[in-house]
Amino acid sequence: MLIRMLLNWKGFSMLLDKMSSFRMMLGASLLVLMNLTSLTVAQEKNSPSYCYVDGLSDRLPCGFIQVAEDSSKPQGRKIDIHYVVIPAVKPVHPTEALLAIAGGPGQSAIDNAALFNNTFKKVRETRDILLIDQRGTGRSNILQCPQDNILSPLMVDEQGFDVIVETEKCLSNIESDLAMYDSSTAIHDFEAVRKFLGYEKLHVYGISYGSRMAQLYMRHYSEALLTVTLDGVVPMQQSVLAVGLSVDRALEGVLEQCAADAACNQQFPALRSDLSSLTNNLTNNPVTTKVFHPMTGNPETFLLTRDKLLGILRLSMYSPSTRALLPLAINLAASGNYQPLLGLYSLIMNGIDLAAGMHNSVVCAEDVHRVSTDLMADIEQSYTANSLYEAMVKSCSIWPSNRVDEKFFNPIESDIPTLLLSGELDPATPPDWGALAMVNMTNAAHFVAPYATHGVAAQTCGSDLVADLVDLGTVTDLDASCLSETHSKSFYLNPSSAQALQSKTTVEDSP
Amino acid sequence: MISVSNLSKKLGEVQALDSLTFDAYDGQITGLLGPNGAGKTTCLRTIFGLLKPDQGTTSINGIDVAKQPLAAKQELGLFPDPFGIYERLTPREYICYFAELSGLERSAAITATDKVILDLQLADIADRRCKGFSQGQRMKTALAQAIVHQPKNIILDEPTRGLDVMSTRILRDMLGKLKSEGHCILFSSHVMQEVASLCDRVVVMADGKAVAIGSPQELCDQTNQTSLEEAFISLIGTDEGIAA
Amino acid sequence: MNNRFTSLLRKELLDAVRDKRSVMAGLYYAFFTPVLLAVVLTAVINKATNPEDIEITITNGIEASNLVNYLSDRGISQGDDPDKLKNIELVISTDFSKQLNRAEPAEVTLIADQSEDSLRTAIARIKRALGSYSSEMVSLRLISRGINPNIINPIKVHIQDQATAVSKGGQIMGVMTMLMILSVFVAGMNLAIDTSAGERERNSLALLLSHPVSVLQLVMSKTVAVSIFGMLGLILTIIVSKFVYPFVPWQELGFSVDISGSFVLGALLAGFSVAIFAASMQLFVSFMAKSFKEAQTYISFVMFVPIAMSYAATLDFAVEELRWAPVSGQLQALIDLAKGKEIPLLQLAVSCLSTLIISLALIFGMERLLKSEKIVFGL
Repeated sequence: MLIRMLLNWKGFSMLLDKMSSFRMMLGASLLVLMNLTSLTVAQEKNSPSYCYVDGLSDRLPCGFIQVAEDSSKPQGRKIDIHYVVIPAVKPVHPTEALLAIAGGPGQSAIDNAALFNNTFKKVRETRDILLIDQRGTGRSNILQCPQDNILSPLMVDEQGFDVIVETEKCLSNIESDLAMYDSSTAIHDFEAVRKFLGYEKLHVYGISYGSRMAQLYMRHYSEALLTVTLDGVVPMQQSVLAVGLSVDRALEGVLEQCAADAACNQQFPALRSDLSSLTNNLTNNPVTTKVFHPMTGNPETFLLTRDKLLGILRLSMYSPSTRALLPLAINLAASGNYQPLLGLYSLIMNGIDLAAGMHNSVVCAEDVHRVSTDLMADIEQSYTANSLYEAMVKSCSIWPSNRVDEKFFNPIESDIPTLLLSGELDPATPPDWGALAMVNMTNAAHFVAPYATHGVAAQTCGSDLVADLVDLGTVTDLDASCLSETHSKSFYLNPSSAQALQSKTTVEDSP
Repeated sequence: MISVSNLSKKLGEVQALDSLTFDAYDGQITGLLGPNGAGKTTCLRTIFGLLKPDQGTTSINGIDVAKQPLAAKQELGLFPDPFGIYERLTPREYICYFAELSGLERSAAITATDKVILDLQLADIADRRCKGFSQGQRMKTALAQAIVHQPKNIILDEPTRGLDVMSTRILRDMLGKLKSEGHCILFSSHVMQEVASLCDRVVVMADGKAVAIGSPQELCDQTNQTSLEEAFISLIGTDEGIAA
Repeated sequence: MNNRFTSLLRKELLDAVRDKRSVMAGLYYAFFTPVLLAVVLTAVINKATNPEDIEITITNGIEASNLVNYLSDRGISQGDDPDKLKNIELVISTDFSKQLNRAEPAEVTLIADQSEDSLRTAIARIKRALGSYSSEMVSLRLISRGINPNIINPIKVHIQDQATAVSKGGQIMGVMTMLMILSVFVAGMNLAIDTSAGERERNSLALLLSHPVSVLQLVMSKTVAVSIFGMLGLILTIIVSKFVYPFVPWQELGFSVDISGSFVLGALLAGFSVAIFAASMQLFVSFMAKSFKEAQTYISFVMFVPIAMSYAATLDFAVEELRWAPVSGQLQALIDLAKGKEIPLLQLAVSCLSTLIISLALIFGMERLLKSEKIVFGL
C-alpha cells in the first residue's frame, strides 16, 4: 500500500510541506523532518491544555471539540476534532486568527505546525495561527490504511499491486462511516472550532487540497472570513485527477529549462532521448541492481520499474532543490548509474504521513466522477495521468461515498480579498488552475512565482504577501515583484556541483 | 527663668565653658557679652541641650535640660545665628512649621502664626517665598519663628549681626515689648552699645567664665569706670573682639 | 507626637516639591530612561529584523556564479556604490569551480575586520549564508551518491520549551525591572542630600534640633519623605514604561513584553521596601557629609552597591546567593513575576524583610548621628 500510494496520484500534494519546504530544510540540515511518519503531538500530563509539536519548541494551547460523525444523527457516533493554536507573540488582534489548512487530502495540519510557523512568522507576530486536523487526518479520528512492511521498499514492485485487494484490506480495517469524511462535511467542523475558540473572524490560508477547503469556507461561511489565500490552487471546477497531466507539464519544464541553459545543455545534450529511452527500457525490462542501502549502507537489491521512476521524478519536482538533480539523475540512469535516483527515492521510500482512507473519501466523493470527455482524452494520452486515474477509479468503485452534485463544481463567487499563488514549476497545480479559480472572484489577485514549485508561500517571499494581505485586508496594494527578484536554481552537472567549470582566461578577463 | 550652674564643656582641646554660672530672670533682658570665642554660642547650645556639658546643669523654668530635654525646649524660643531660613517656604509656612514643632496643634499654630505676622508687621511678605529676602525681612521671619509659640524664655544668638538700623530698631522694640510682657530674654552679643542700651543685666564672659554679672550701672560701679566699655576692658583686660 | 511627625513630613514634602532640582532629577530619570530604552531598542530591533542589503566586494565571482546568485537572493551582493559598500571582501578562489566539481573543499576567503562593530552582523550573515549554501550542497551531493542525507543528523533533538511569549522577554524585562528599581534610588537622591547635608549647609539643622522634637521622629519623617519621592519616581517609571514599551516591536524578536497588573503591584510592594532602604542609606551617608557636594560624592560611592547587586541579578551572576539579599532579591522576584512565573513569595518576603531591617538599622544609626555633637556642629 505504501509504495502504491506514492505512485498513485494521491501523492499529489502530500509532499507539499515536506518537499516544498526543502529549501528551508536543506539550509538548516533539517532533512530529518522528511522522515516524519508518526504523530508528534505530545500532550503534557499535568497541563492538558498545552501541546508540543514536532519541530517547534513553543508550548502551544491545544484541545479538541466533539462533533457528530454524521451531522444528521446528532446522537450517533462522536469524533474529536483536534486543534492547536500557535499563539500570537503579541496578541494585537485577539479576535482574529489565521487558519492554515493542509493539503493531501489526508495531511495533518498539526503535524505541519513547524512549517506553518516558519512560513507565517510575520502573521504570528500579532495574530494566532490556528491549525485544525481535518476529520480523518492526524489526531482527528485518522483513517489510515494498513501498511505492508514485509518487503524492503527498495525491492517493491508496485506494478504487481492489485488495487482492489489493497483497497479491501484498507476498508476492512476502518470502522468509521467513510461517506462522512468529504470536504463539505469537514468544513462545518472548522467553523465549529472557530466558534468554540471565539474568533470573530478568520484569515484562511489553504495549500493544495487545502485551497479547496478554503474555497468551501468562502462558499459556506463567507461572513466569518476577512481574507483568503489560495496557494497551489485546486479550482472548484477542476477534478484533481487532472494532476497527472501537470506532472508531464512539469517534467517537460525540466527538459526545456535544461536545454535553454548553456551548461546543462552542454552536459546533457540528449536529455530528452535519455528520458524516453530510460522509460521505454523500464517498461519492458525493469532494472535490478546491487546497491548499498541509502540509510544503513547494507548491500541490497534495488528494483527500478517505470512506475517507480515516474514516482521519483514526480515527487522530486515538488522541491526546487531536488528538482535541480533531475537532469543528472535521468542522464546517469540512462547510462546505468542509478545512484542519484536511489538517493532521491530514499527521501520518499518510507512513506509520508497521509491518511489514505480520508484521502479516498474525499477523492471518491468529489473528483473521480467528474472527468470530462476532453480531460479523459488528455489523460489517456499520458502514462502517468492514466495510471493514476485508473487506480483511483478502481479504489472508488468499492469505497463508500456520497458523490457531490454539480453545484459543488461551480467556481466560487466572492468579494472577499483573495490572494492566489501559483508556482510556475509546480508539478501538481499549474498556474492556469489559479486563474480558473478566480473567474468569479471580484476582489482577487493571482501571482505566479517563476521559480517556485508547489507551495509558493513556503518557498518564496509569498509568505510576506500573505502577511501583507492579513495586515492590509486588501489585495490591491500587494507588491509581488519580489517573487521574480530571485534566481532560479541551476541544475547539477555532476554529483558534486551545479557550478559550471570556468576557464582561466575567463577569470582573468573578468573585472 | 533660665539657670546655668557650674557649667563646664571642653571642645577638643579648648575649655569652652569653665564653671559658668548665671541666671536670667523673667521680665528682664539678660545680655551675654563677650569677645569672639568667649563661649557664648557654646553656652546657648548647651542651654538647648544640643551640647552635653561635661559638668554642671542648666534648667529652664526649673526643668533640667539634661533630664527632660523635650519639656525644657518646650519653654524656649530660639532666634539663631545664622537664621536658618528655608528659602523655598514662605514666612507663614516657616513660622507655622516651627510653631507646630514647638508643640502647638495645627489650628493653634495657624492662629498663632497669623498673630505674630500681625505683631511683627510681616503681612506684606508673609506669603512670598523667603528666597531673595533682605536681611531685615529674614530677621523678622526668624524672630517670628522664635516667639510664635509664646515661649516664656527667648534666646537670641547675636541678634543684631548684619542688621540695618531700621531692623535693629524693630528688634529692640519687640524685645522691649516681650520684656514688658514678662518674658525672660537672654541674648548673646559682642556689641557693647547694644547690651548697654537694652539689657537689665549683663553677664560678661571670657574664656568660658562669667567674669562679672550685674546691671550695666552695677558693672560700672564695680569697676569704678564711667562707661560700660571701660568697665568691660577692665574686667577682661582687653577689648579685642568687642564692637562698640 | 503624631502631630509633629505630620508637621515634619508635610514641611519636608512641601520643601521638596518646590525644589525644582530634586523634582527634575527624579522625574527626568523616571521619564526618560524608559523612553530612551524604548527608542534605542526599537531601532535595534528594526535593524535586526529588517536587515538591509549588504553590499560587499566579491572578487572573482564568475568562478562561483551560483554562489553569487544564492548570496544575492539573501541580500548580499557585489556593490558599486562606494558609500554603501561595506569593508568586506569575499575572494573566490581561482580554482573554486574546479574544486567544487571535484568535491574538494572549494575555497573562499572572507576578508574583514571582525572586531569592527558595524560589520559584525553583516559578517555573521555572510557566514550564515555560506553555511546554508554548503549544507544544501551536502544534502544534494549525498543524494546524488545514493545516500539519504538524513544520515548526517545522527541525533534529532526535540526541545519542549517551558517558556512563554512573555518569559522569553525575561532578559529585557530584567533590564527594565532593574531600571525601575534604580529609579527609586535616583528619584529620591537629590532630596536626600538636600534635606540632610543641605539642611546643615543652610544652618537650619541646629535650629530644628533646638525644638522639642525627638530626633527619631525627625529622621523618620525625612526617610519617609525621601521614600515617597523614590516611590513617585518608581510609579512614574512604571507608568511611562507601561505606555512606551508596547510601542517597541518586541514581537519581531519572538517575545512580548507585558507590564501586567500583578507586576505593577509586585513592583510597588517590592519598591516600597527598596525605597525605604534607598532613603535611609542616602540620608545616612549625606548626614555625615558637611556639604551638598560632599554628600553627592559619598552617595555616588554607596550607590554602586545596589547597582552592582542589580546588575548581578540580571547578569546571572551568583543568582542563588543574591536571591535572598536585599534589593537584588526583590529584583529577581520581580523579574520572575515579569516572566509570568509564580511569585516567589518567600523570597520576596525575606528580601523585603532584610531590606527593612537594614533600613531600620540605618535609621537608628542616623538618630545616633544627630545626637552626636560632632556630627551636628561638624566639630
